[in-house]
Amino acid sequence: MDRGMVIFLGALLTCASSWLGLILYPYWQLNGEKPYQKDAADDPYPQPLQGQALAGRKVYQQNGCMYCHSQQVRSEKFGNWWDENGQMKTGADIKRGWGLRRTVSRDYIHDNPTMLGTMRTGPDLVNVGSRYSASWQYTHTFNARTFNSWSVMPSFAFLYMKEAVVGERSEKALKLGREWTVDPGYRWRPSAREWDTILIARGAAITTQFLGESIRAGDANLNPDTPEGKKRLLDFWLTTEEEGYQVVPTGDAEALVAYLLALRKAEVSLPEAKE
Amino acid sequence: MVAETELPHYDREKAAAERAAIDGSCRGPVLFFAASAVCWLLVGSALALMASIKLHSPSFLTSTAELTFGRVRMAHLQAVGIGWSSMAAVAAALWLMCRLARAELMYPRILYVAGVLWNIGVALAVFGILGGDGQSVEWLDAPPYTPPFLVAALGIVAAWVVATFRRRRETHLYVSQWYILGAVFWFPWIYTVAVFMIFWSPATGVVQPIVNWWFGHNVLGLWFTPIALASIYYIIPKVIGRPIHSYYLSITGFWALALFYSWAGMHHLIGGPIPAWLATASIVGSVMMFIPVIAVAINHHMTMLGHFHRLKYSPALRFTVFGAIAYTWVSFQGAIEALKDFSEVAHFTQYTVAHAHLGAYGFVAMTFFGLFYYMVPRLTGREWANATLIRIHFWCASIGITIYFVSLSIGGWWQGRMLNNPNVPIGNIVNYLLPYFFNRSIAGVLLTIGHVAFAVSFVMNLAGWGKKRVGGPTYFVQAATTSPPVLMPY
Amino acid sequence: MSAVDFAVLASVVGSIVLFGGAAALAIGWAFRSGQFDNFQQGAHSIFGPDEPIGEATDGKLDIECQADTPQ
Repeated sequence: MDRGMVIFLGALLTCASSWLGLILYPYWQLNGEKPYQKDAADDPYPQPLQGQALAGRKVYQQNGCMYCHSQQVRSEKFGNWWDENGQMKTGADIKRGWGLRRTVSRDYIHDNPTMLGTMRTGPDLVNVGSRYSASWQYTHTFNARTFNSWSVMPSFAFLYMKEAVVGERSEKALKLGREWTVDPGYRWRPSAREWDTILIARGAAITTQFLGESIRAGDANLNPDTPEGKKRLLDFWLTTEEEGYQVVPTGDAEALVAYLLALRKAEVSLPEAKE
Repeated sequence: MVAETELPHYDREKAAAERAAIDGSCRGPVLFFAASAVCWLLVGSALALMASIKLHSPSFLTSTAELTFGRVRMAHLQAVGIGWSSMAAVAAALWLMCRLARAELMYPRILYVAGVLWNIGVALAVFGILGGDGQSVEWLDAPPYTPPFLVAALGIVAAWVVATFRRRRETHLYVSQWYILGAVFWFPWIYTVAVFMIFWSPATGVVQPIVNWWFGHNVLGLWFTPIALASIYYIIPKVIGRPIHSYYLSITGFWALALFYSWAGMHHLIGGPIPAWLATASIVGSVMMFIPVIAVAINHHMTMLGHFHRLKYSPALRFTVFGAIAYTWVSFQGAIEALKDFSEVAHFTQYTVAHAHLGAYGFVAMTFFGLFYYMVPRLTGREWANATLIRIHFWCASIGITIYFVSLSIGGWWQGRMLNNPNVPIGNIVNYLLPYFFNRSIAGVLLTIGHVAFAVSFVMNLAGWGKKRVGGPTYFVQAATTSPPVLMPY
Repeated sequence: MSAVDFAVLASVVGSIVLFGGAAALAIGWAFRSGQFDNFQQGAHSIFGPDEPIGEATDGKLDIECQADTPQ
């Protein structure tokens, strides 16, 4: 052990063994894997991403989405739980609806970077394109807490633009109450004094709208002058859309949502992984 | 050279003078890397706190793209991984190699270049990621313009370590030198392979994560672990004045680490879309790691036996022994975590985050803190100015990492059990984790306080506060018992 | 078995033979060249006349700025 050469050769050989076993052999086996095509008439699977979805993958990559969301479905043999009868069941990923089958290496051949992810602070996304619509994705990425108050997902309001409405509201405008759009990314609620000021200026119109809603809901006796009534008036008003302003997605947001909608691995049957 | 208690005085003087010359030759570059490391530690701590708070208070700093959680998390890892830990490792490797080879560092100015390049690389990584160029490849999130700086800097450092080694006066190769030589060979290799196969000539599909985790796990086991172990193997015997218990165990530990560690990387992908034989090979490698870890643990413990009282007096020893115990703990945990039944629950959860931090902080960071507390006074010629700051650092760091590890292990385990039960909605899992996330922020605050105390101590020492080192054999030589200590020229 | 699979298998077997052989040779060389005679002596190399075995070299806390007294 007093010769540097011994250490060098030993360090070289030991690391070379793992380099061969874990890098070179898998590379030989898996690099250049081809898509699967059932018949000549079918499209090969998987297809590479294009256009907006491809641009969206970059947005996903740059904002580190992988660090809360994995993109891999484990097989039916993984993930045990015990049901109410005390019987053990497996295959939690698939049972959660995160995919129809486990994902395999072929699913990722066009991915660059391949963001398998190692954290599930949030759900797995490899098949999310089949679970949520575009409008859901827009609203959710703008601020996840509009749907789920328990969510700790960051708000990606910086991918959206709040602008004055010129003429008609844009089709792409998010349909959200003012509590989410007054201060994008945050949930806004005026203080008691601010609410009083607002009521003085616009109370009549708001009250009319509110009472109309209450009658429709069968609550005709609601009195907007009581403190409780004022609070309910405020709660209602916060859900109405902000006049004169709209929140629209920027190009990055559209790209990101296009990418999320394109995430539909773990659906098509493959010979190595059937449903 | 077995020393006797009664030596002719000139032998002590000569040896001390030689030691002083060696320390003096590497002082500049080592302190440059050490100081850079401490700066990045503070940056990394700030980013860590931000990320931690965002997980339980998602509206914290949520309005800008630059500070979104994903970017802050990536930047944090670069700052503490390539900034703090790696630069501290370089400082350790340089100083330990000079000391152990009993050779002076030649042409130290080139290492300043390496240090500047390294700092630029880390800065580009951190700010590039915050600016939107993150790569979402774990450990390799740095933008593509970063690797050239790191490769160049690393190449210079590796060359200088080997050059110093080749000029050695000490014929025997101490165990720490084996580890350091291994580390400066392994890290450039794994880094180059990974950057090549993931970025420059990207491999298809899942081959990328396979290469990624070969790299990611090996950076822990073949870069940080060897240099930290080198430090422990030096500090414990040096501080207590007693040689390592069993040199045979040392050699077993070294070669077993070299052989088995590099096979363990695929345990990060158990259950994933990779060939089954890969996962199995890595589980085997992970479990075989018991051998070197037990060898090292026995060695360290038996060396310390009978000397634990010295933990009261030596901060270097305190931090180092904490690190050594954490190493044993985190390695046992890791070997078990790789088994399928365990991985099934712990994978994808905060449990792995806890494990990662026990290793990266409880073991690596604490060990390097210990080394710095020993090394810096010997390089600057000044003692640490304030013992209270050191105590604050130690207790904040040790209590902080303990809270961190315990909270997230418990939280992460049950998170995993719930994830594996499709009848439990995600919302329940997130709500369950909130108090554990909050605990992590508390732990993070404690750790950061410790780091600030450390940084203050460090700056004070560099600035010349604190008493001159006396009585310690390293830097100052007692010419005779009656005359005052003589300063050796540097 | 496809050509690639066969190549992989052949390489694996060949590697085990080669690496195992190298390891065996290395251990053989080590014993023959006397690496393991007086092996424990290596643990003493970090000490020296100025920092001999038996003297602690770090005693910052509680004992201000003084090395611990030799045992």
